[in-house]
Amino acid sequence: MAEGVDTPTAILANAAAALRENPFDEISYRTLGDAVGVSERTVYRHFPTRSHLLEGVAGWIESTEFPLPPFVTILQFQEASRARFRAFDSSPAFAFVCARAASISPTGELEATFFTRALVAMLATNHPSVNERDLRRVAATLRYFASAQFWARMRTGFEMSAPEISDVFDRTVVQALSGLPTLSRTSR
Amino acid sequence: MSVTSEPDDRSTSDVNRTQEAILAAYAELIEELGTDDVSFRLIARRAGVGERTIFRNYATRVDLLLATAAWIERRIFPRQDSPSIFDMPLTIRAAMESYDHRPELAHVVAETTMRGIGGAAPSPRRAMLEEMIDAEISALGDAERRAIVAALAHLDSAATWVTFRREFGMTRSDIADAAAWAAEAVLDPIRSRVG
Repeated sequence: MAEGVDTPTAILANAAAALRENPFDEISYRTLGDAVGVSERTVYRHFPTRSHLLEGVAGWIESTEFPLPPFVTILQFQEASRARFRAFDSSPAFAFVCARAASISPTGELEATFFTRALVAMLATNHPSVNERDLRRVAATLRYFASAQFWARMRTGFEMSAPEISDVFDRTVVQALSGLPTLSRTSR
Repeated sequence: MSVTSEPDDRSTSDVNRTQEAILAAYAELIEELGTDDVSFRLIARRAGVGERTIFRNYATRVDLLLATAAWIERRIFPRQDSPSIFDMPLTIRAAMESYDHRPELAHVVAETTMRGIGGAAPSPRRAMLEEMIDAEISALGDAERRAIVAALAHLDSAATWVTFRREFGMTRSDIADAAAWAAEAVLDPIRSRVG
């Protein structure tokens, strides 16, 4: 086990490394324990179910492989999302794990991800006069079309690559935003 | 015109009575216990078949889960036939409400469609959407047609319900409203181009 890395992090790093060879469902707790130098029971103590492990691995992958570029404008948000689609294309096994983890029955409290909070804050700043309900519908749509789940469905269900996926994303963003009043209209 | 709603996912359309009993039993147990804690023995007992019968039909746990997810989407969350692509917002609204009534099953459907080519079909109604849009809008560029079909297919799915609930804490009616609203926005550019 590497110096200075705690056991759960070491388990997650090993699980992510194993994803390069095997699908998630074939990664065993025993192999993970052996790789990290702890017992299978210790792995279970940190990740009581495979859902916990899936969420943990996805979190580790998101932060190390798919970090979100910062954005304060819509255009920056779109560029950040397109960059992530390209990164997903380069590491599909990782991206599918993120898409799966975002879709399972949550193991803990429902909590918005950093991505969602950043997006809501950006929209609220750029459209200060828009009512909360419309803002939330726009934010939910943008968030859902910027997700690993969107990438996964486009790739598997529509055989698209990142540039094609970005095209569908961009068109949908334009349509979703067209409902919001422009600054000139809101300043009336 | 009339549109068939048969999904092109073969695994759901040709289940025999034994398989139906197994898949229904597993779906029931998922709602009671989650996906993690359900043994083949328990499923066999609930379905009234032998454990070996399950293995003969579904060699692995993953095979059984994928078949069950496809069965759930078809039987528990069926879509009404929509006469028009412009009815999709209504279809999506109803789908979101039905997912909200069966959260555990909605999560199973959402997750199994996110596994890549080894998983459940992520857009089982793609062909139907393409038929509907072609029937109504004849002059549509390839890129625009593909984008609208893909966006509607993405919205008409369990992952929409999961994301709107998890990331935005929306209630049932808020989710249904937001998803239908998004579908309307997707359809906006072609609203007056029928023919």
